[in-house]
Amino acid sequence: MLISPTLPALSGIEALRARLPHPLASQLRRASELVTLAQQIGPKLVVPTTVAPLDRILGGGLARGSLVELVGHRSGGRFAIVIAAIAAATSAGEAAALVDLGDGLDPRAAEEAGVDFTRLLWVRPRRLRDALLAAEMLVATGFPLVVCDLGVPPVRGRVPASAWLRLGRAAERHETALFVSTPYRSTGPVAQAVVLLERGHAEWRGEMFSPQLLTGLTGRLIVQKRRGESGPLTGLSSFAASSLWRCHSCGALAPPPPPSTHSRRAQKDQWQKGGKEDEEERNAVSSTVSAAGK
Amino acid sequence: MISARIACLFVPLFPLAARLRAEPPLAGEALAVFEGNGPAARLLAASRTARRAGLRPGLSLAQARAILPKLVARGRDTECERAAQEALADTAESFSPRVESSGDGIVYFDASGLERIFPGPGGEKTLGRAAIVAAGKAGLPARCGIAASKLAARVAAENPDSPTLVPGGEEARFLAPLPLVRLAPHAEIALTLERWGIRTIGELARLPEGDVTSRLGRIGQELHWTARGIDPRPLEPRQPPPMFREGMELEWPLLTLEPFLFLAGSALERLAGRLGAQGLAITRLGLELRLEPDGFDVREIQLPAPTRDLTALLALTRLGLETRPPGAAVNGFTFIAHPDQPRRAQLSLFGPPALSPDKLTATIARLAALLGADRIGSPRTVDRHAPESCALAEYAPPPPPELRRPPRSGRGLLAVRVLRPPLPLEVLTNETMAPAITSRRVAEISRESETVPHRARPPAISSIKTISPTDDRNGKGPSIQGNVRVASGPWGVEEGWWTDHRVDRDYWDVEIDGGGIYRIFRERGTGEWFVDGIYD
Repeated sequence: MLISPTLPALSGIEALRARLPHPLASQLRRASELVTLAQQIGPKLVVPTTVAPLDRILGGGLARGSLVELVGHRSGGRFAIVIAAIAAATSAGEAAALVDLGDGLDPRAAEEAGVDFTRLLWVRPRRLRDALLAAEMLVATGFPLVVCDLGVPPVRGRVPASAWLRLGRAAERHETALFVSTPYRSTGPVAQAVVLLERGHAEWRGEMFSPQLLTGLTGRLIVQKRRGESGPLTGLSSFAASSLWRCHSCGALAPPPPPSTHSRRAQKDQWQKGGKEDEEERNAVSSTVSAAGK
Repeated sequence: MISARIACLFVPLFPLAARLRAEPPLAGEALAVFEGNGPAARLLAASRTARRAGLRPGLSLAQARAILPKLVARGRDTECERAAQEALADTAESFSPRVESSGDGIVYFDASGLERIFPGPGGEKTLGRAAIVAAGKAGLPARCGIAASKLAARVAAENPDSPTLVPGGEEARFLAPLPLVRLAPHAEIALTLERWGIRTIGELARLPEGDVTSRLGRIGQELHWTARGIDPRPLEPRQPPPMFREGMELEWPLLTLEPFLFLAGSALERLAGRLGAQGLAITRLGLELRLEPDGFDVREIQLPAPTRDLTALLALTRLGLETRPPGAAVNGFTFIAHPDQPRRAQLSLFGPPALSPDKLTATIARLAALLGADRIGSPRTVDRHAPESCALAEYAPPPPPELRRPPRSGRGLLAVRVLRPPLPLEVLTNETMAPAITSRRVAEISRESETVPHRARPPAISSIKTISPTDDRNGKGPSIQGNVRVASGPWGVEEGWWTDHRVDRDYWDVEIDGGGIYRIFRERGTGEWFVDGIYD
């Protein structure tokens, strides 16, 4: 048996223990426990959300086999994070399930965010109890990512705390990344990480004489609870609006280009120009109608 | 030349065995199956407990009850027997593709060429034992006989010491010591032979064929051949059934769902077992209900994908019956399963994990039963302008890539949480806060408003408040209230003006004091306001 010259002659397990970090070494009693320790210290599989601040906070993303809770009020960007996580998983070729208690998914926006619909199962329960049942079934089916969005308050229905515990245990057993998005703290002690999303501010473009357009939202991520990983405790998230709206007066697509190329003055000009074009078009139509009348 | 070998699976007291297969809890009871109705009902078969108490075939129900007051009596159930016969044939089919189903618990199958699977001198014995075990798994206590002819195989299968093997060419020797009644002769001929003093098959076989034929005719001649072990009848293989059936006649009509589902679950379990033995799954499930006093209710239960999952099948049956009750008491039912190959998945060593098709199908079916079929699926966009419009498609994910690939970098887009249905809104407008527009433009808009109402001057929104929903079906909706800080709009949406479902709206994005940002709209036709989305 080869023994490192820097170590005194110890028994096998003692030599191994000497090489391990202190907290783990004190836990090691038998060689069979090495497997458990290897799982603890080895790299955990994660499902990235592609929201950089959240991924940094969570140590790379949503860890497989654990429940992560995201708590946030309205218009903080919580649903945008949900969509981003689903887009990331499905674009990587993994199946994902969205349990959408609020029935709030807009397929057009989700498609624009990069969600691969063929890999997404959309479940729309009406009550919280059904949502948890559905989530448990999906976890047991083997979905790598199950997202449970509880919508906006008031959440429909109540469940005992043990239901969340059971769901968390199921996620652990089936190695599923379970992501719960909720307006208020719901899952109890089972969550591996709880992140609070505080509403920042909305960004509007255009003022006074020009039409105002919503261009984005910001939010602040604050870690409320985290087991195991170390990392930043806060982060700033921001989301940009990408709308398909078209101004019916001027025909401009929103969001407009950055101010450097599309100044307030230019917006105003375009608005007025659009108005003139409309007027010209209407005049042309009315003249055609009157000509037909004659 | 390879001599033909035919195996026979025989279920003694078949009507009783079929009943017990459908109602396993009756296994230890003193059970008797009667044929006929009322006083004309005659005992057909009885369990061992009942036979020990003295019950014999032919007794009336009253006589049987007089002997054994605790007797559990059941009528003969042709549906049960048909399903049991099919199950026995399915069992035989798992050993050989050439199977003949003769009815009444008798099935023959071709045992030639199975030496490779059951090798050695004891191969046929092993085959017989395996067939008996397989039939037992299908709920039928069968016996097995293997011989060169169907007749010898059947007579051998009737032996209690099962499996019984008859070596090729020794059929006559095997049959000789057996009583003549085992050949089931016609009653008249049996009486004649008894008068002659013929008791065993061997005694008949030893008589000259010409004398027997001249005295007993053609039937006597055939009986003489069978006594000598000659059976010219070939095996007549059956066509595999296009569908599988399981069901039963009920002793009394059922009015409530739960007892029916208890029996239905048992029937579905048997059905799934039969399909499982052949590596098949159910792609379509029909349910035929026989109603009281007469009439049928035939329905079809749609399955998202081929499955054998009992929980999912039962949940869908429950859902179907709850959605559309049969309207009368049920006194019999039959499940008809259309088989198909189950979905297979090839696992990848290096790619993301694939979902098990069986599990996925079962989960989707259970979720559809729990939430409704319209509440689960894969989302799709629709070719419409109304922002709340969406569609669902069947969820059938493609196989995962062979190699794990990195996720696409996020676009960081803001999402809208759609409110379905839109919530009615009370909106206060403030004219002094109207967006500043040049006086020339105001004059134009005012002039236009006479002919083009929707191009009228847009209102300046000062505050919004949700009106409490009167429809309790969806529960209480979110409460939205506050003074508007920023309002952006209107953005016009118009579609379907040529249909009854016209959409003609002006949209605004508004931010209220509390910080929430909402998408609201006004119906141009009615002037009503709604909120249909939350920027989140």
